[in-house]
Amino acid sequence: MTKALRIDKSSEEGLKELLKFLLENGKVKGVLTLRKMGEYGAISYSLITNPDDIDSTLPLFPLMPVNLGKQLSRLTLMEPATDPIAVVLRPCELRAFVELVKRNQGSLDNFLFIGSTCGGVYPLEMAVAGDIEGQLAQYWEAVEQGELIPDVRPACKACTYFVPYNSDITISLLGNKEIDKQSVLFLNTEKAEGFVEGIPGHYSEEEPDSATMEQIRKEREAEKQKLSDEVETKTLGIDDLTKTFSRCIECHNCSKVCPICYCHLCFFDSKDSEHGSDYYETELDKKGCVSMLSDTTFYHLVRLFHISTSCVGCGQCADVCPANIPLWAISLKMGEAVQRAFDYLPGKDIEEGLPLATFTPEEFAEIE
Amino acid sequence: MVITQKGAILAAEEGTEKAILNFIKQALSQGCFDAVLIPARVPTGDSFAYFLAQNEAFLEGASPLSPIMPVQGARVISSLARRGKGKKRIAAIMRPCEVRATIELAKLGQVELENMILITVDCPGVIPLSDYFEDPTKGDEVFKDASQNWNSKPMRPVCRICDKFSASGGEDLHVGTLGTNSGNILLIPHGSKGEDILNKLGIPLEEDISGWEAKVKKLTEERKKERKQANDALREDIEGIDRLVETFSACINCHNCMRVCPICYCQQCNFDSDNMKFTFEDYITRAKARGRLMIPTDTLLFHIGRMLHMSLSCVSCGMCEDACPMAIPVAQIFTVVGDKNQEAFDYVPGRTIDELLPLTTFEEQEFLEVEQSYAGVSAKQEDQDD
Repeated sequence: MTKALRIDKSSEEGLKELLKFLLENGKVKGVLTLRKMGEYGAISYSLITNPDDIDSTLPLFPLMPVNLGKQLSRLTLMEPATDPIAVVLRPCELRAFVELVKRNQGSLDNFLFIGSTCGGVYPLEMAVAGDIEGQLAQYWEAVEQGELIPDVRPACKACTYFVPYNSDITISLLGNKEIDKQSVLFLNTEKAEGFVEGIPGHYSEEEPDSATMEQIRKEREAEKQKLSDEVETKTLGIDDLTKTFSRCIECHNCSKVCPICYCHLCFFDSKDSEHGSDYYETELDKKGCVSMLSDTTFYHLVRLFHISTSCVGCGQCADVCPANIPLWAISLKMGEAVQRAFDYLPGKDIEEGLPLATFTPEEFAEIE
Repeated sequence: MVITQKGAILAAEEGTEKAILNFIKQALSQGCFDAVLIPARVPTGDSFAYFLAQNEAFLEGASPLSPIMPVQGARVISSLARRGKGKKRIAAIMRPCEVRATIELAKLGQVELENMILITVDCPGVIPLSDYFEDPTKGDEVFKDASQNWNSKPMRPVCRICDKFSASGGEDLHVGTLGTNSGNILLIPHGSKGEDILNKLGIPLEEDISGWEAKVKKLTEERKKERKQANDALREDIEGIDRLVETFSACINCHNCMRVCPICYCQQCNFDSDNMKFTFEDYITRAKARGRLMIPTDTLLFHIGRMLHMSLSCVSCGMCEDACPMAIPVAQIFTVVGDKNQEAFDYVPGRTIDELLPLTTFEEQEFLEVEQSYAGVSAKQEDQDD
């Protein structure tokens, strides 16, 4: 049984009430959530300290402009949060942050994490085209019914980790039939109970609806199979990969937005990767012709190698790729295979060591 | 614009591209250069890349006028000769904006051009990457139709208003195709590198190019007008700090505009450096000052910083816009600002290699009007202070 708080407002309004309550009562000094930037502006994350600004937030808007895990790392890279901050984020964002913290790229201290059972987010290009607002009714209807949502990121359709790990508070959204009437907040930690104390609402002990979650998980699993069969990269063999990455323009934007790629200077952006005339002329004499986009597959393979133990499948890489490479599917396939081999789920347990930093004498005996 | 009085004429019965390739092949086989840098289709067929080739057979499949610009040629040529010239003499077949950016990079010390021969072709524009990758086969057809008729509609927004689509003066050899659909192309050398090739191949430089020049001039004037209209219209949307903030509010701070930009050459951008790492205390203090702080922070500062650094050399190629995941009209905005800045210094990026960069050139008598108005303001200020 988990402690639950019910506020008699729609899920989003109830959440906003909580955020305002936390700020007004000095329980937190800041709230990190989505907000619309001015009349013609975009929807972006904001660190809000003024309770009045909570009115213009859209904490449950189905968009991930940036993976917040990466931003939390930026905020806490030099020092942990100095004041308590409430953060509304998606399960994959929190998982990514946990992975970054394991790599000493930030700190979990002083954050109150508010997650939700996640229906997924729309691709960035839909936000750009202004197509999301028109879909919202359909989105929330599908969330309420616990159904697959059309047009969300393929990575989201294929996501089976839609119940957050490590969130202090979990908002029940998927399969919640009273989404418009009641905000249902599961208080997973004692910390959460302390923070919400004093807000008007009904408290109860409840069992999260695990049967519905299992049902949704099965549907997503099936969708994952279907989608990953559709992409051109059917296998992770070299032929398929070379074919897929042949469109790559080497902008490296997949790594820049990836919450796991944290290197401050990527090897592939460094001087070590700059070939110069000697290299090209030698290759030219050997082959007669040489592509000036010579390291694309190499770059992607190395990136996959570096991130696969921790890839949370957020899909940000695919969304920003100017060449429409289905990077989400490749990272997901690679990530799942590697994570299965190490019996490791990124972002699940902060105490669990990173697979490559953990030596187990009896591991992979079959390979030896 | 007028580079030489005479040009050379080559037959192009099998089309412009074929004629250009034949000329390049001939020049390669005659040792006018040792290798060719040229766009060609990637093996899977759904994109293009620059290839360095010394094998004549390879050139059969090359595309001097590819439908897209996946990477700006100036970046490619810089990666080849940033640390100095190689042993081989390379002919680079690029679009005019790529050569102009190359000239800027040479001025900035980012490419050694001694062993490079820069060849440009009249450019009908390129299709935006997102349109092309949606359906490459269709993209090929759309480009073929549009480029033959000089229809700029399907091209990048900045290509539609490009008024420097032809020879700019910085190239060694220009291929004139505009209005020469009748089965010829013109070769117009600029300087000795270009002339040497024609001499070596025994191609006479006797053709009157005034007909082509007149057509280029006419289209240039049309484009100038359209460019001004487009700039004026966009300026209304973005002028003032509120509109500027809103325009860039979609920015996700990925810096991809900077990474694909041919002019942004810093090995480490200030905005990716430790200078932009702050303590949590810094962030919360900034948030408290206004009640809120957009995360990621400093996105507008990044764009303004980038603008300040490269707008005098911006060639309006449109790479930044194509690479922006949030479809911010970066290239169009930078064109508005770049045009104005370049005009103030009477500077055309990439026009000639000899023209010095405005910010490295000190002229005593420059911008007197700014000094005067500043003097006026400070005098007034002093009055008030009294």
